Amino acid sequence: MANSSASYIHMVHHLIEECLVFNMSKEECMEALSKHADIKPIITSTVWSELEKENKEFFEAYTKRREGQVTEMEAKNRIQNMLSKSPKRETEETKQ
Amino acid sequence: MLAVSPLRNTGNDGKQGEKENNFSISPEEFPDFGEGNLLESIDFDDLFVGINDGDVLPDLEMDQEILAGDFPVSGGEESEMNNSFMSEKAEVDSSRSQEGEDKVLGLGCVNSTSNKGDEIMSGSDEAETKLKSLPNKEAYKTRKSSAAQAKNNNQGKRKVKVDWTPDLHRRFVQAVEQLGVDKAVPSRILEIMGIDCLTRHNIASHLQKYRSHRKHLLAREAEAAGWSQKRQMYGGGGGGKRDISPWLAPTMGFPPITPMHHQFRPLHVWGHPSMDQSLMHMWPKYLAHSPPPPPPPPTTWAHPPPPDPSFWHHHQRVSNGLTPGTPYFQHPLPLTRFPAPPVTGIPPPHAMYKVDHGIPATVTEQSGPHPLVDFHPSKESIDAAIGDVLLKPWLPLPLGLKPPSIDSVMGELQRHGIPEIPPSLA
Repeated sequence: MANSSASYIHMVHHLIEECLVFNMSKEECMEALSKHADIKPIITSTVWSELEKENKEFFEAYTKRREGQVTEMEAKNRIQNMLSKSPKRETEETKQ
Repeated sequence: MLAVSPLRNTGNDGKQGEKENNFSISPEEFPDFGEGNLLESIDFDDLFVGINDGDVLPDLEMDQEILAGDFPVSGGEESEMNNSFMSEKAEVDSSRSQEGEDKVLGLGCVNSTSNKGDEIMSGSDEAETKLKSLPNKEAYKTRKSSAAQAKNNNQGKRKVKVDWTPDLHRRFVQAVEQLGVDKAVPSRILEIMGIDCLTRHNIASHLQKYRSHRKHLLAREAEAAGWSQKRQMYGGGGGGKRDISPWLAPTMGFPPITPMHHQFRPLHVWGHPSMDQSLMHMWPKYLAHSPPPPPPPPTTWAHPPPPDPSFWHHHQRVSNGLTPGTPYFQHPLPLTRFPAPPVTGIPPPHAMYKVDHGIPATVTEQSGPHPLVDFHPSKESIDAAIGDVLLKPWLPLPLGLKPPSIDSVMGELQRHGIPEIPPSLA
């Protein structure tokens, strides 16, 4: 029994890593794993937390980066909104 | 002095002029070596007696005395000079160096053990310098002033040649990590490392190379990360680019390369102290030390490869009979080895870029913060990736994070009312 638990946990670990590659948040990961791999969110969450404990630096950096990305996205959206309101500026934007 | 000239003349006519000039330069520099010793120098044109005070080559005994006393072990500033003369004075040198080195070795913290004619002998180099008085005032000046005047050497300025062994490098990295890569200051690093042999300059240049190396690594990761973006693109785009080689994908104007760029940055940072030892050691020409077989290093950013096959097969018949990861990294793989090149010289990095110039170029161009077009991966790609893991549990982990403690997980789950996994109820 222990083996199957260990391998199950390993699998969840693997799946979480895939999610990390996709830049997902913990919640997104829980949802994805539940949906696509039939893994209870609580399990995903637990393994994620444990992974976080074991790899503190990584997760800290990961989180920071995501936050930065979210900010970037928001800024970009804001800019795009502005651009869509002003046709002239579109040319500049497209030049990017 | 006068006595010397004739002796030398008998030996080598060609060098007469030099010798004479030398001698005339600083007669007072002549040591009180016995006349008899001069005879030894006759055959060595390169040994320029006189200029050097007290260090006159001809006298072995003298050398030792000098070595014992006067030289500031500046660490081979003069190794340069020595090198050029080493070979010439091989004969004499060997005999001299024996004694000289014995004394000097203790002074310098040179890494290498070879002494004869080896430029690495920074400590002994210094002594050697003293021993082999150079035929011109430069040598004299060099010796006289401080060894720091490397510029006076024939070969221009060259500092002590520090041999960055893996161990030394590891200590360096530890120190840098401790201080924080961006905040690491050579003087602090030096303090932390606590190695006498290193000068601040050594550290500074090494640090520079190190930072540049890291940047390259991150660029690689970003590039690799770009693949996952690409995958999503293909997943969403339905493989419109079937025949386009992956390398071109980025140039299609798909900006997402960078979105993932940062994704692996933490990877690198985190990995640094421990995980990336192999990468670190891969760095300055240490490929030999820890030659990570292609799979492992790319593994860290090789997420794309494992799931890739499924995508590629769907969207691209890129497979050249390649196993997961290989096709993908045909180019990047060699690149991951590049860490060595940058240190050894300039060409390699360029070569690397040439090889992959489609990608690296685009990656680096967009290395800055970039609009995250695919911040949210497509459902299909996620599904595919997950499915892949479920079907092929033997695939390597894309990030290679430290696995969680089983007991810890089980305990936690039990606390939440889940006695066992996999759960008996779906």
